[in-house]
Amino acid sequence: MKQAFKLAYRNLMGAGLRTWLNVSVLSFSFVVIVFYNGLIDGWNKQARRDTIEWETGNGHLVHKDFDAFDPFTILDGHGNISQIEDKNLSPVLVRQASIYPDGRMMTVALKGINPLQNALKLPTSKLDTACSEVPILIGQNMARSSGLNKGDIVLLQWKDKNGTFDAANAVVADVFKTTVPTVDGGQIYISIKKLWDLTGLQNEASFLIANDQYVNTQTDQWIYKDQDELLITLDNIIATERISGSILYILLMLIALLAIFDTQVLSIFRRQKEIGTYMALGMTKLQVIKLFTVEGLMYSIFAMLVGCIWGIPVLNYFARNGIPYPVENMDDFGISISEIMYPIYGFKLIIGTVIAVVISATIVSYLPARKIARMDAVDAIKGKLQ
Amino acid sequence: MNTEKIITLENVVKRFKVGDGEFTALKDINLNFDKGEFAGLVGPSGSGKTTLLNIIGSLDSPTEGTATVMGKSISELSHKESALLRNHHIGFIFQVYNLLPVYTVYENVEFALLLQNHSAEERKKAVMDALDWVGIADMANKKPAKLSGGEGQRVAIARAMVKKPQILLADEPTANLDAENAHAILQTMKSLNKELDTTFLFSTHDEKVMKYMDRIIHLRDGSVEKDEIINSKSSSK
Ligand SMILES: Nc1ncnc2c1ncn2[C@@H]1O[C@H](COP(=O)(O)OP(=O)(O)O)[C@@H](O)[C@H]1O
Ligand SMILES: [Mg+2]
Repeated sequence: MKQAFKLAYRNLMGAGLRTWLNVSVLSFSFVVIVFYNGLIDGWNKQARRDTIEWETGNGHLVHKDFDAFDPFTILDGHGNISQIEDKNLSPVLVRQASIYPDGRMMTVALKGINPLQNALKLPTSKLDTACSEVPILIGQNMARSSGLNKGDIVLLQWKDKNGTFDAANAVVADVFKTTVPTVDGGQIYISIKKLWDLTGLQNEASFLIANDQYVNTQTDQWIYKDQDELLITLDNIIATERISGSILYILLMLIALLAIFDTQVLSIFRRQKEIGTYMALGMTKLQVIKLFTVEGLMYSIFAMLVGCIWGIPVLNYFARNGIPYPVENMDDFGISISEIMYPIYGFKLIIGTVIAVVISATIVSYLPARKIARMDAVDAIKGKLQ
Repeated sequence: MNTEKIITLENVVKRFKVGDGEFTALKDINLNFDKGEFAGLVGPSGSGKTTLLNIIGSLDSPTEGTATVMGKSISELSHKESALLRNHHIGFIFQVYNLLPVYTVYENVEFALLLQNHSAEERKKAVMDALDWVGIADMANKKPAKLSGGEGQRVAIARAMVKKPQILLADEPTANLDAENAHAILQTMKSLNKELDTTFLFSTHDEKVMKYMDRIIHLRDGSVEKDEIINSKSSSK
């Protein structure tokens, strides 16, 4: 085996440009695969962290009739929280409401939340101001679609517990910036005590957000959904991205492997005389096949080395500085996405890619090399096959 | 010792498939070679010289009859055994040299030794010795493409001789060389033959070559036409 490596090394070095072309293509796909996977891993990590910090906390205790994905459950999907008093839970009451920025009507989800909550990053403390208007909090997306800015006053209309319309002026106490679209678009935050007063739904909540210390206190009325359950949508979207990514790099790999395959097929045809000479000098066909296979394997090893030489600095640069990701409309993604993505390159990912590239390059080299077994030494020496 | 038959051909017939029929390239060849002979197969193109060398070199096997080389019957050798025989005991020199183009002169010569288990120092010494024999030690680092015809054939001789084989088979080794180079190369081979007691077997239709031979076997249409001993080794020794 050692001699096969030695000879393969000499052959590849001797082949010059052809070798470096194959090695470049392969090293490019190798680095792109690592990069793309790293990007998705980085996105996944960022999206999970941000979604936990901004939306899910340590899970939600949800009223049995409330479904966050079904607006029709807002009306009746709430219950009294006096029974489940727990300092690790922060209640949220959701109501349907309308605002009238510049005279046009916008339907919104009005979310009452405790200004002193610490389960989420939402700057709810800004709601804790006394003024003549109702203080509200909105996200940047909402601010953009409604045209509201910090300090603007807007007419807010809601229904109380008897279904009677009521309205008041609200003031935008703050506009927050988040990467999590599901806590932003179409939503307005208000102090939950204020919302109880406005609607007469004293001590009612649609769901409660748990903090880190919370231990499951699920009842018939209130169902606990942990982080994993709440992050299922995110997991699904990441999985989809991963699949579309893998199509990209399967294509890249195919191109790289095709280049090697092509070189091999051509080599075996063009290097017949050399093959015959190997045999005359005492190599068995098996040894020659092994030599050609090791040549292909060595392409992938060279590609790793070359990939390391230019890939490590490039990948490192992106990991450190991130990649600007211009997000036109965050809602398009459905899940958290930040404007700068930081790829994370896992050890497992790199080793896995290395193994995949080496194995497939070896197979792709072996397949055409099998033809050598059927070659006749005498014909090969003359170089007169086909 | 001198009567030891290193190559024995008994009723060797070689037929090739040609289209639907067959072509008989060797017809009932009976020949023996002693160790250390310097012999030539002479005959016009198509007379079967190359075919016979290929059989003796275990690259091919007879259709009928037996070819025994160093006590081993060629047709009974496994693929691996015949490769081993070639690697250790048979050196080939081809008309067009068949040097490995991407290797240097040194690497070309080293090749056969790489297949055997020699240490790096052993290999180096053997390669440099072989290059010295043929007088091209100063070209060790050149690539074959940079060599003249005469130089290329010297590398081929060094490559064949470096492992000190029992038998050296040379298929028209001077066909592409001018007279001066042809003589130089034959002299080199003759001295190696004396020094190492290697059995040399040439194929040629070159007059210049014939006068170096101790024995000339005339082939015509696949048969031995004449087998002349010109300079009997056994008697001269
Ligand atoms: N593989 C082959 N298939 C068919 N015919 C062959 C093959 N090899 C050699 N021959 C024929 O056998 C005859 C002897 O060939 P060869 O041994 O090469 O002759 P020489 O070397 O004396 O010129 C030629 O007529 C040649 O055409
Ligand atoms: Mg011939």
